[in-house]
Amino acid sequence: MPKKRLLSLKPFLILLSVAVFWILVPIVFKSSIRSVFYEFQAPLSTGASYVRELQNYWAARTKSKNELYDAGKDLARLNATYELMILENQTLKQEVERLEELLQLPTRPDYRYEIARVVSRDFNSWWQHLEIRKGGKHGIPTGAPVVFSGGVVGRVIEVHEYTSTVELLSNSHLRMAVIIAGDNRPMSYRGSGFQTLQNPVGIAEYIPNDINIDDPSNPPRIITSGMGGVFPAGLPIGYLRRLRPGASGMFQDGDVYLDKRLARLTEVAVLIAVEGNYQ
Amino acid sequence: MNPEEKNKYQGRLWIFYGMLAILLSILYSGLFYRQLIERESHVDQEKIQNHRRILTPGPRGNILDREGRVLVANRSKFSAVVFLSEDQVQKAFTNHYRSLVRDYREEGKPIENYTKLLILSRAMVLESYLKTVNDLLGREEEVDANAISRHLNLNPLLPYPLVDNLTQSEFAILLESLPVESPVQLYVSTMRHYPYENAVSHALGYVGHSALEIESNMPGSNLKTFATKGSYGRNGIEKRFDSNLQGKTGTEIWVVDPSGYQVEPIQRIYPKKGQDIELSIDIDLQLAGEQGYDLYGDKGALIAIDINRLEILAMLSRPDYNLNDTAPFISNDVFKEINERQAWENKAIRGLYPPGSPFKLITAIAALKSGVIDDGTIFECDGGHQVGRRRFPCMGHHGEMDLRSAIQKSCNEYFYRAGLVTGPDNMSREAVYMRLNKPTNINLPNETARMITPSRQWKRERYDQPWYDGDTANMSIGQGFLTVTPLQLGMMVASIAKNEVYSHPSIIKQSPEQLAVRPAPKPLGLPTEVHKAILDGMDRVVSPTGTARAAIIEGVTVGGKTGTAQINKKEGNLELAWFVGFAPVENPQIAIVALVEGQNLNESFGGGAHAAPMARYVFQAYFDKHPEFKAKPEAFQSQL
Repeated sequence: MPKKRLLSLKPFLILLSVAVFWILVPIVFKSSIRSVFYEFQAPLSTGASYVRELQNYWAARTKSKNELYDAGKDLARLNATYELMILENQTLKQEVERLEELLQLPTRPDYRYEIARVVSRDFNSWWQHLEIRKGGKHGIPTGAPVVFSGGVVGRVIEVHEYTSTVELLSNSHLRMAVIIAGDNRPMSYRGSGFQTLQNPVGIAEYIPNDINIDDPSNPPRIITSGMGGVFPAGLPIGYLRRLRPGASGMFQDGDVYLDKRLARLTEVAVLIAVEGNYQ
Repeated sequence: MNPEEKNKYQGRLWIFYGMLAILLSILYSGLFYRQLIERESHVDQEKIQNHRRILTPGPRGNILDREGRVLVANRSKFSAVVFLSEDQVQKAFTNHYRSLVRDYREEGKPIENYTKLLILSRAMVLESYLKTVNDLLGREEEVDANAISRHLNLNPLLPYPLVDNLTQSEFAILLESLPVESPVQLYVSTMRHYPYENAVSHALGYVGHSALEIESNMPGSNLKTFATKGSYGRNGIEKRFDSNLQGKTGTEIWVVDPSGYQVEPIQRIYPKKGQDIELSIDIDLQLAGEQGYDLYGDKGALIAIDINRLEILAMLSRPDYNLNDTAPFISNDVFKEINERQAWENKAIRGLYPPGSPFKLITAIAALKSGVIDDGTIFECDGGHQVGRRRFPCMGHHGEMDLRSAIQKSCNEYFYRAGLVTGPDNMSREAVYMRLNKPTNINLPNETARMITPSRQWKRERYDQPWYDGDTANMSIGQGFLTVTPLQLGMMVASIAKNEVYSHPSIIKQSPEQLAVRPAPKPLGLPTEVHKAILDGMDRVVSPTGTARAAIIEGVTVGGKTGTAQINKKEGNLELAWFVGFAPVENPQIAIVALVEGQNLNESFGGGAHAAPMARYVFQAYFDKHPEFKAKPEAFQSQL
């Protein structure tokens, strides 16, 4: 009878001993185990993302010829607009370069874009991290800024062989120096953390007291300052919506409403400094 | 046990029970007393032991010019700090201390002083944090082990600054590079910022830092309190209006652990910014004066006064200093450097100088009011006047002079003669009536009250000597014992311009209500025609043939008086160049006094050449902004 009882406790004892073992093993061992586990798990997520894309491809194949023709026309118009904008941008870039040279300003870091598909997004940390389908093999460094058409997505915090983890803009651990468009005083931005079923929001601190939201339909636009050395200047972050007094009495704090498209990203671009280091 | 024995023990048991009951009742009474009667005092004591109060001074109010432009503001001062009371920092201290002790023991070194080892371990931990910051910013800051211990003993709840005064880009770099959970945090405090640097430096003043004055009505007054230093005005506007500029102190009450380290906040009142103050200074005029001074002088003062509102439009004193050098505090080097240049003193309200020729206007008024001359009286100038055994010189041989031409040419002999016939008593009385013997009562601190308007009685009391005719001759041209401040002369010329006597100028922009309750001016007491004669003389001073032609402004009639006074020193004379003036003559709006001190002994210095041109800069700036006051000279001439 006692032996039978002991046998029934055996799974718990094993679990306990494994737990004790896990607590006692050195951190280096734990992190390497985690990394190995991740590398094994990664192909599954990547495979799943390919399957999803195939699914989307076949879904697109069901479209009628007329729909495709209309879509093609729209695309052609868009392309024409973009080509025009590229020409304008090139002219402006040349003008900026010329002025910078005249003013003898230091050269700004140059970036190359590495486009990456979004592999997966953990539902438990929807507003914290996402996985992308490019990693160390593609030259992605830790700390690199990640952007999309709406502005900043976040920055790379972990790099694996073929995938990377991106810390999102809404993550409370992400902090950066930002400015209000048209004002060069740096402020602090950080994500506000987990927001279930809500729009992504961040918090801006050290907002000068003379900043007001005069017209709620046209709130101040928050962009990257470029002063911190990680994010290039001028990338959109969001809009300043609510202001409240800060703790020092000299500044205000405010809520920054982020781009809603951050919730359904499928593709992002990683900015890799051509000659630069990330901290 | 038989019944007898049982009864015997039963009795003893009752005694025992009784004693037990008494002891228990004493115990319970004590408990009752402590828990219920003394409850309040225990709660209070518990609060005192477990709660700490942190006070943060509110930012000071801004100081603005009359058009709302910021002259003094608060600038954020960013620092990289470590909260020494945080768990991770405390753990790091402990771990490092343990490993140090272990190392000593393993190496067989004797540990003589454990406290020193503790201090060393703290310094090493902070040094490792500082290294991260230095690496990111390319700085070479160092840790002071004793400062850490002092900080832990005095202000354990306040942040310990690793690197102060971060630039905006350094702040941005640390913000993006340090993890949110890093023991090194970014901290913001305020310091004064002066966008116009040296401009208005003496009038604005500066602030110093000292222990925060704690109001008794703040919450948690019985708690142990830690307070960041407050900033208090030490000079100028910052001092005079300190109570208005002071912000409202913020209060945080924290629950702390037995070691005194903060656990959680239970009350938080945010600090509030102090009241803004609007000065009467017009920074455009001030900068124009500064520009003029840069070209024509190094030492002295310049003041511009709005005659109708009696507000100071510009006030500069040279040598001056860059107010930004006084923030966040005045370093020894800066103090010494400013001290050596003697730049602390506001010469506009503290400098005492012989008034020189501008005082001739007082001589003229005294003579006219006492009836010994009229505006047509003529005196012959032959280059000097003999008084007793001494000949008092004039700067030229002017020939026949009436009042107008005497003012225009600044003829000494005319005024020697006029002064001698008027007498020192009348001149002294007139100077007193014009308030040259007392401070103007401007709303700035430290205005001197040591000016001298001599009289027979004054000389007797001071030197035990009688008054001589030579003293009268000296006084009639603004020399001798007379001393005034530049602001007094500015008020004098404003008064003469309007034929009234003014006092109490203001450097604060006055509201209509404040203007309505100003003390009424006294009449100067000159008949209109006689007053016009003086103004005409002053108008001729600022004409192509006058001594202040450098102050001519196109389209504006300017009245003025130049002067060159001497300060007698053992080694020789130091000359002072004066210009007092106002404009437009027919409708006075602005009065200016400019003083330039000579640099070298026996160097020739003149009001027309050195003081008048810098006044022109201010007149020009004023009339560029107020073209509506530009007069029509023909119309005025026809009036005269």
